[in-house]
Amino acid sequence: MKSVIQLFLLWSVLVLSPSLSFSLSLSLSLSLSLTPPLASRCYSHGKVETDEEFDARWVTYFNKPDIDAWELKKGMNTLIGYDLVPEAKILDSALRACRRLNDLASAIRILEAIKDKAGPHKDIYPYLIQELKPTLTELGISTPEELGIDKI
Amino acid sequence: MSLAKPAMRGLLGKRLRFHLPIAFTLSLVAAAAFKFTVTEPRKQAYADFYKQYDAVKEFNAMKEAGIFESVRPSGE
Repeated sequence: MKSVIQLFLLWSVLVLSPSLSFSLSLSLSLSLSLTPPLASRCYSHGKVETDEEFDARWVTYFNKPDIDAWELKKGMNTLIGYDLVPEAKILDSALRACRRLNDLASAIRILEAIKDKAGPHKDIYPYLIQELKPTLTELGISTPEELGIDKI
Repeated sequence: MSLAKPAMRGLLGKRLRFHLPIAFTLSLVAAAAFKFTVTEPRKQAYADFYKQYDAVKEFNAMKEAGIFESVRPSGE
């Protein structure tokens, strides 16, 4: 009996430990399908979009030369709603769209957002910064850490 | 040293697939535990009390104690 209680307490700590924002941000469009696809509509008919197709679609979306500020925000908010952390190439495309729109604030916000999206998985953000470093340098985008705005 | 690519998709799905069955099971266990440690003994206690309950005897005892207004103890 006592060990059951101890086991339950251990599990509840495990459940509650990840940051709240991780769960909240992903809760709206969670996918419990057994395959990874995220914006998956669980059709029994119809083809499920592959990860590559999904990535390509979003890269194309942000690559639109005359993308406007609304589309940038809408795109990012939609992307954030999915059960995934966007690939580096999608983020690269989004950051370049920020550059075309002269929107440095959104560029830095995108970096903050992906850090938050990763939630308890602390290895994702450093990896993405590593992959995006050339782009960040080219476009002159500072990371939240470099600006000292990553801590409250 | 460059970092390896971590898993970036389906992280919430994976977490939920692991935790939701546990959560549901634990909730059911908690409900069952409460039922069998609290509500059933309570129901049994009431049943046992009323099994040998003599309402008339209890009424007369109360009447003699003088708590009623509509019927006085037999002495008065």
